[in-house]
Amino acid sequence: MRTTIRLVAGSLSLMTGFAAGASAGPLDVPGATKALACSACHGPGGQSPSSTIPIIAGLAPWYFKKAVEDYATGRRPSPEMEPYAKYVREAGVDDVAAYFAAQSRQPTAVAVDAAAAARGRVASQQCVVCHGESGRGDPARSIPDLSGQAPGYLRNQMLLFKADRRSPGDQAVKTVKELMKSVPDDTIADLAAYYSSLR
Amino acid sequence: MTRLTRREFLRTSGRSAGLGLLAAAGVAGCAPALKGDFAPKTGRRVVVIGGGWGGATAAKYVRLGDPSIEVVLLEPNRRFVSCPFSNLVLSGVRSIDSLTFGYGGLRGHGVRILHASASAVEPDARRVRVGEGYLQYDRLIVSPGVEFQWEQVDGLAAARDRVLHAWKAGPQTVDLARQLEAMPDGGVFVLTVPPVAYRCPPGPYERACQVAFYLKTKKPRSKLLVLDANANVVSKAGLFRAAWKDYPNLEYRASNKVVKVDPSTREVTTELGDRVKYDVVNLIPPQRAGTIAVQADLVGTDKRWCEVNHLTYESAKQANVHVIGDSTIGLPVPKSGNIANAMGKICAVAVVHLLNGKEPPPMAPGNTCYSWVNDREAIAVVNAYKVEGGKVVQIEQKLTPGQSAEWAQNAVGWATGIWQDILG
Repeated sequence: MRTTIRLVAGSLSLMTGFAAGASAGPLDVPGATKALACSACHGPGGQSPSSTIPIIAGLAPWYFKKAVEDYATGRRPSPEMEPYAKYVREAGVDDVAAYFAAQSRQPTAVAVDAAAAARGRVASQQCVVCHGESGRGDPARSIPDLSGQAPGYLRNQMLLFKADRRSPGDQAVKTVKELMKSVPDDTIADLAAYYSSLR
Repeated sequence: MTRLTRREFLRTSGRSAGLGLLAAAGVAGCAPALKGDFAPKTGRRVVVIGGGWGGATAAKYVRLGDPSIEVVLLEPNRRFVSCPFSNLVLSGVRSIDSLTFGYGGLRGHGVRILHASASAVEPDARRVRVGEGYLQYDRLIVSPGVEFQWEQVDGLAAARDRVLHAWKAGPQTVDLARQLEAMPDGGVFVLTVPPVAYRCPPGPYERACQVAFYLKTKKPRSKLLVLDANANVVSKAGLFRAAWKDYPNLEYRASNKVVKVDPSTREVTTELGDRVKYDVVNLIPPQRAGTIAVQADLVGTDKRWCEVNHLTYESAKQANVHVIGDSTIGLPVPKSGNIANAMGKICAVAVVHLLNGKEPPPMAPGNTCYSWVNDREAIAVVNAYKVEGGKVVQIEQKLTPGQSAEWAQNAVGWATGIWQDILG
């Protein structure tokens, strides 16, 4: 028995890296199979493990559908997302939006510098007006939830707003762009750290 | 070597009587006592050959799709080493350790892993031969990657240990990085690109960028010579050519197929008869489907690649046998890691449906492919597909408008996400 145990142990001692990750959920609902193309970048079930790719698990359908439409038409320019948004439209955006909306959203696992998050909190006075103290936004006014989102993604989006490179001409993001114009890049990084740290 | 408690062993050894043997065989690696039906099938079973980007994904997703199906993964290597990002090991930007992962996540999903090679497939008996024994399956997923056609380059078969391909990430990647590091300043590094089709169309050109970047910064009197069997850069041609403007130390020669290598004189010979001296050579050989696909008679008339059904990835030649990843041909998709991952998921869903007597849903793959052009900037190509009339057709291909650190950040995000999707 001991010999066998040692042999088995040998195979396991090399196994490190990933723990058993988030389940993709049952695959026999319509949206699940259509959404499988997304998990390569956005992670299983839309729970992105990286800093720069957004978490889309638990995303409100109104936000998901607007994003897909804006990407697919090129209004929100992205060489990566434009083809995939066209794929989602082909597959059926309602099914895919419903699938991600039904996934329980975990805050990002990417750790941020506590000092940066603290500075971001101080700098967030203007953001709170729309996104609220919790950072959760307000679906009734088309204000998205920022809390626990991937920090690199938040930072990059704010930089895109600042440079008017995200959805040029889109009235829905006019206010945030005006605001970002005056925010230094370092502060943008602090704000990203703060909102990604919210639970 | 870590000791396991009795309880841990029992948990590892699992439910069926055969699994203890599987676990022991996986450890032994050298002529294990695999005789007869060494893991008798108790329920429905899927056997997956190959634990790379396609096979590991398929194994995981069959379990996610229906946990009542037993999944056995045959993979000789103990560790998964990512080919994507491995060109960065040559330039010293990434370590091989940062691209190396265990299979523990798959075990967490209940995938049973046997670290051994399949030696043959017997489709009529629905079994895979391993060592002197065999494993029975209800459906088989074959994801063997590519094998090199050594015989296509004169002198290569005899010089395999010195003339490196580094086209399967692992020890050769590290050895090639060492050869590059040891090359004297003023030396010539020759990189040869095989004729299409081969694994990772933009890979050789990304490698050219990384080697040129390294030489430019560390050995400024050295030169990189790219000898391409193809008439032009195969993928992202405009973006690579733009990136190469930063590398006056890179000389690119199209339509220069290398047909001979002689390590004793440090020389390669092209089809045109040109003899080129090198200090270090990286010869990427011509490729075909992994050997088991040939042995199992899954390859088509070209004797190189496997034709499959576009919806289920079932072999055009053998029933109940599915082929995914770089070994396939006929879909309008590149031989990329992202495509292998996508095929793994789609095939897994199809297999789960078929084993449950249901019609598989039509699903299309997607392709996201980044290439690093220096230590901080990347370019990308993205392809979207749909299913039309039972066939996969492309909706759109999009390239990044140029190179930037932004795409490189997204490349890291992509890698982090897809490694989790495959193994987590």
